[in-house]
Amino acid sequence: MRRHNFGRTTTAATAAALTALALAACGSGGSGDGDTGGDGGTDAEGQTLDVWIMQGTNPSGDAFFEEVATAFTEQTGAELNVEFVEWADAHDRFVTSIAGGTTPDVAETGTTWTPEFADAGALAPLDDYVAEAGLDTDLVEGLVEAGTYDGQLYGMPWYAGVRALVYNTEIFEQAGVEPPTNWAELEEAAKAIKAEFPDKIAVAVPGDAEFTVYPWVWGAGGEVATLEGDTWTAQLDSPESQEGLSFWTGLAEQGLSSEGATTWKETDVLDAFAQGNVGMAIMGSWTPGAIVEANADMEGKFAAVPIPGKDGGIAPSVLGGSHLSMFETAENKDLAFEFIELMTTGEFAQKWGEQAGYFPGQASLLTETLESTDPLVAPFAQQFVEGGGSVPVSPNFGAVQAKKTVGVMMQSILSGSEDVATASGKAAEEMTSLLNGGS
Amino acid sequence: MASTTPVATPAGTGHRPGPAGRRPLGKSLAARIRPWALLAPALLVLAVLLLWPLVRVALFSLQDYGLREIVSHESNWIGFGNYAEVLTSAQLWQVVLPNTIGFAVVAVACTVVLGTAVAVLLASLGRVWRTVVSSAIMAAWAMPAVTGTYVWVWIFDADRGVFNHVMQSLGLQDQPVNWFTDRWSFYGIVLLNIVHHGFPFVAVTVLAGLLGVPKELLEAAEVDGAGGWRRFFSIIVPQLRQVFAVVIILSTIWDFKVFAQVFLMPGGGGTNREVLNLGVWSYVESFGQNRYGFGSAIAVLLTVLLLIITVAYVRTILKEEEL
Repeated sequence: MRRHNFGRTTTAATAAALTALALAACGSGGSGDGDTGGDGGTDAEGQTLDVWIMQGTNPSGDAFFEEVATAFTEQTGAELNVEFVEWADAHDRFVTSIAGGTTPDVAETGTTWTPEFADAGALAPLDDYVAEAGLDTDLVEGLVEAGTYDGQLYGMPWYAGVRALVYNTEIFEQAGVEPPTNWAELEEAAKAIKAEFPDKIAVAVPGDAEFTVYPWVWGAGGEVATLEGDTWTAQLDSPESQEGLSFWTGLAEQGLSSEGATTWKETDVLDAFAQGNVGMAIMGSWTPGAIVEANADMEGKFAAVPIPGKDGGIAPSVLGGSHLSMFETAENKDLAFEFIELMTTGEFAQKWGEQAGYFPGQASLLTETLESTDPLVAPFAQQFVEGGGSVPVSPNFGAVQAKKTVGVMMQSILSGSEDVATASGKAAEEMTSLLNGGS
Repeated sequence: MASTTPVATPAGTGHRPGPAGRRPLGKSLAARIRPWALLAPALLVLAVLLLWPLVRVALFSLQDYGLREIVSHESNWIGFGNYAEVLTSAQLWQVVLPNTIGFAVVAVACTVVLGTAVAVLLASLGRVWRTVVSSAIMAAWAMPAVTGTYVWVWIFDADRGVFNHVMQSLGLQDQPVNWFTDRWSFYGIVLLNIVHHGFPFVAVTVLAGLLGVPKELLEAAEVDGAGGWRRFFSIIVPQLRQVFAVVIILSTIWDFKVFAQVFLMPGGGGTNREVLNLGVWSYVESFGQNRYGFGSAIAVLLTVLLLIITVAYVRTILKEEEL
């Protein structure tokens, strides 16, 4: 009896497994082309649009997307299914879903990923839709460039962000220091803070956060990498770059950062800052909301200034951002673009920017934001306009990031296992090789 | 996909320790087919879920397989290029393999010794205390690897961690130390994590074996004047040889392919190349850079390495038994 039962349930399980496989196979094959020519007001009653939105150091978007979903359903009749994906896991999730043919209809893609996924053939070009909606002249230039691959637009500009120097105003006041305008002042301010608050972190120098490193390289007049003809040459070990790296890591060496920061990521910096333990740190325009969200007591107790250059002025900081991309697997592409348009233009684009601390990707909206006088927007806007920098524009830069070339360099300097010259030399060698397609 | 395959094959061999040669001869054909017929559905599921991915990984390892190939489903054969690159990498021989093998040896030894010690303790306890202690160790076992890792990271955190705090208040160190930047202290923490998470399995398995050791044997030995250690090593250990074989093989496999417990530690995700092990190295070198063929080659090598270790170990156990 028993044996018989066992056999039957296993057969049932096998059948179920095979059915599931067969269904999955059907699902991946069913990427039918929707009819073109819909100009708003698509009637997509009963359909569902799957969307992935990234999550990291920006404030939670739950309430915002509930509102978007209501508006979307009103406009199209279709349901909106938003899934939040951590930035850290997102690349893997995209790749596995591309491999399995289970990509969402629309997803937020980081500007450095859009060309990569487009190159793989996973994204649908958006030029026709954008032209039809009359948006092609109203998009922010830098984001369009980053979203263009092989002459076609694959990433709809959604928002951009920039990092600046965020400081704790309470700590600054009690230590009697002013926000720095050059490197000497920054060092003095950090020393004064450390003297007043020996248990706090005067300036956070994280080891695993490449975007907090480049401003110091550029601020000293160095470069990350230069392109000559077809050949990239990393410049992290040039005398200027080394000077910037020495200054930044030197702050940690003098005990003005913390031991733990050697292995910190940007999320760790955010945590420590939100707890009121950090005097100043390089943080993104999207972090103020997240700081207050993590600790409501911090409201009104911090401010920002552009990152100072060595002898004054502004040290450039990387302009990062996100696109909304449509995947080739989207069943109803018109519906997908309708959602993209709803998100990236007009009311919702502006709301997201204000709420999350981002600069919108629609040119007309951006102009408005840049004129803001909000003390937590204006410094970032100034950094955005006057001190925007770009990492090497190469499809191979993703490999540099994946191999953590800059993180490895920073950590070996901060932990004292290598000096700036040795570590930056190794990093430059590796970056040059990776950018030129080596491994 | 790649991470699950190495477990499956060797684990299967470990599950069949029983002697198999006592079948009466001259069975009918139907009787001989019946077990296979009954097993067929399960074997079919295994073939689909395990064997096919295994074959795919082997096929990928002979290709330059990237994101573009994933989307287009095209093949891109390059022969043994991936294997040549893996085996000629200086990092593999200087950092990755020593970390992986050295750690596995120490971790397996510690897990088995601690687990056995706890099993002996459990066996000597009364019913109430046995329940209390075994539920306590079950809690350690039940904790997900990710949660456990974060707890250890928090304990050893440089700025807010309990460990640094205690060391400083005892006056053993003047300043906080970041324990995650040094190769030895990093793996010390991983060892604590892995042993803490792994010993309950050993304890429970060995306890089951211990309870099966005939009491008469132990009493007879005691009468003959054998002390506690002597009784343990001369009677219990030989009786539990097969239990130990299973426990050691499984622990070896688990400790060889440690990933989350290293990857999630500060600096363990690739910024500190001194602490890379085989799992994290293959991830950083291949999957982070969309080089799936290269990653598959590493996975195949890991599987082969584990197979060799397992086969060698099983053979020695069997040989000893024949003597």
